[in-house]
Amino acid sequence: MSTPVAQMVESLARRKATVQLAGAANAGRAAAGWMADQGIVRAVLADDPVVDAVGLEPALRAAGIDVFRWPVAMGRREVLGLEGPQDVCGVTVPTLGVAERGTLVLEASVGHGRGLDVTNRHHVSLLMADRVVETLGEALAQTFADGRPVPSAVSLVSGPSRSSDIEKISTLGAHGALTEHVVIITP
Amino acid sequence: MSTRRRRRNPGVAYPDVTGTLRDRTVDALRDPTLADNLRTAGDSWGAGREVMKRDFGFDEMRDRARDIRRSNIRNMPALLAELQSNVRANGGVVVRAADADEACRYITDLARARGARVVAKSKSMATEEINLNEAMEHAGLEVVETDLGEWIIQLANEHPSHIIAPAVHLNRNQVAALFREEAGTDDVPTDREGLVAHARVRLREKFAQAEIGISGVNLGVASTGTVCIVENEGNARLVTSQPRIHVAVMGMERVIADWDEAAHILQVLPMAAISQDAANYVSLITGPRREGETDGPEEFHLVIIDGGRGALRGSEFEEVLSCIRCGACLYSCPMWQNVGGQAYGSPYSGPIGAIITPVLEGPSSPGSRDLPFMSTLCGACGDACPVGIPLPDLLVRARARSSSPAKRKAGLAFRVWSLLWRRGVTYRLTMIGWRLGLRIRGRGGWVHRLPGPGSGWSKVRDMPSKWPPRR
Repeated sequence: MSTPVAQMVESLARRKATVQLAGAANAGRAAAGWMADQGIVRAVLADDPVVDAVGLEPALRAAGIDVFRWPVAMGRREVLGLEGPQDVCGVTVPTLGVAERGTLVLEASVGHGRGLDVTNRHHVSLLMADRVVETLGEALAQTFADGRPVPSAVSLVSGPSRSSDIEKISTLGAHGALTEHVVIITP
Repeated sequence: MSTRRRRRNPGVAYPDVTGTLRDRTVDALRDPTLADNLRTAGDSWGAGREVMKRDFGFDEMRDRARDIRRSNIRNMPALLAELQSNVRANGGVVVRAADADEACRYITDLARARGARVVAKSKSMATEEINLNEAMEHAGLEVVETDLGEWIIQLANEHPSHIIAPAVHLNRNQVAALFREEAGTDDVPTDREGLVAHARVRLREKFAQAEIGISGVNLGVASTGTVCIVENEGNARLVTSQPRIHVAVMGMERVIADWDEAAHILQVLPMAAISQDAANYVSLITGPRREGETDGPEEFHLVIIDGGRGALRGSEFEEVLSCIRCGACLYSCPMWQNVGGQAYGSPYSGPIGAIITPVLEGPSSPGSRDLPFMSTLCGACGDACPVGIPLPDLLVRARARSSSPAKRKAGLAFRVWSLLWRRGVTYRLTMIGWRLGLRIRGRGGWVHRLPGPGSGWSKVRDMPSKWPPRR
């Protein structure tokens, strides 16, 4: 295991995310297995080559989980979980991971909705090991490099949603995802 | 200094605050629940700061943070021009508002023009400063604060008590009572997890309805025209992704040059504010949704507020513009720790609030001229500040320029005193008068009550009737 990935694993744990390491051949099954264990009944997947490369869709179907691909034809109430099943999982593919902080860099695009990581109760991220950089500075320098088109929205996610607004004690599952699970795809 | 004369709406302090600063402070000190809640908050911040220093090299990051912010303020006009042109190039609308009125009018006009009825807000001190909620409600809009703490405060019909932890003065039972009232049912949990889950569902209903989302801005990155919004809950993500229109409201001093600088400040901010090495969600937004994208707002408006800030550049208070609104100086302050933020009567409380409120409003504004005196000048705030603002020095400067009837009276008294004691003859005469007076008022060797300016002193002390002793 290379150092940045090891550090990423440690940082994600500190951020209260859960982590799995898997090769490309097993990552889809690993992610689907985790989702089934959480009682997830529906998954909304980013339309990204990594999702297909790890065979997530067939693995989810095999586990009996409903699969949707972004962009989805849902009303806003359903997107927000006010209608339809509650145990929905958004699946994202970060462009980068920040080892020092356990941060995922998610870029909005046609295939990658802005709300994927935050509207659903659960969030699974498929992070390629070779996309892990050490510092936030490196990640932002790459994301906003000269000559690269600036994405309309970039989301830096570091662990599940939480609030300390009641008695200053951290409580998980505020507005965003209650659980965050990162599958790091090793070569 | 050349501030303020032109400002039409000088209000930063809340217009609806009642009583004097002294009354509010005394009331706060008499509230035992408040004292407990504040102590919990202050202790947990202090312990967290030690961890940041020990494990994450927080102290080493502060010098660079200060240098970055100083340079941002020095180059503010050019950086704002760059930010503005880049936001426009990415399809956003930029509005420069000279004051609160202009900013509120733009936003309410926009809401009217788009036929909006429900507005979902994420936490923003700038909108608190310009009293935007009141303006929008006046325009017939339903405004919902979606940050958990802000929503609690909205339900309680109170003002925030801390820059980043607005409901820190309330405990879970008080919160549960507010939620029961809002939901119109007793079927509301009383544990923290349950309360958070309850709020999530109630507020999602509002996210489903809102046509406009209004957020603050932590940093505006000039080089790409991107606004950064830092939070932990995810409500700002929803505010900036679900409604059809996103309006970001930014104090003009939040501009920063590039991503190298922004990366540093984005790390320092959560360390200073909540003693975490990262915030949970940071949204970096560059204009509205692009062609083919199916979520995210169709319109993006950036409202940049001057509100007296521009005039502070080059003044003796310029350094306050470096502030990143982390709230560390509040937690560190023995005054704030004892009375909380609401006693200050301004959205900006604690040491930074005691400076910027009167500095933005002008030295004789009745709502804020006494605020610089809410300090023991112990220096804790200066040590806590992540961007090296010399808060104790600025408090002294703000005191020096503050002007109130009480202060003018005290100034006159000191001038008379100085006049009398400058000459031997008048000095000796006052001393004879003083000794004589003490003898006359003394009972059994002690004076229990002094007249005039001495009455406050003698309220809890006695003075020997032969004093000062002769050598």
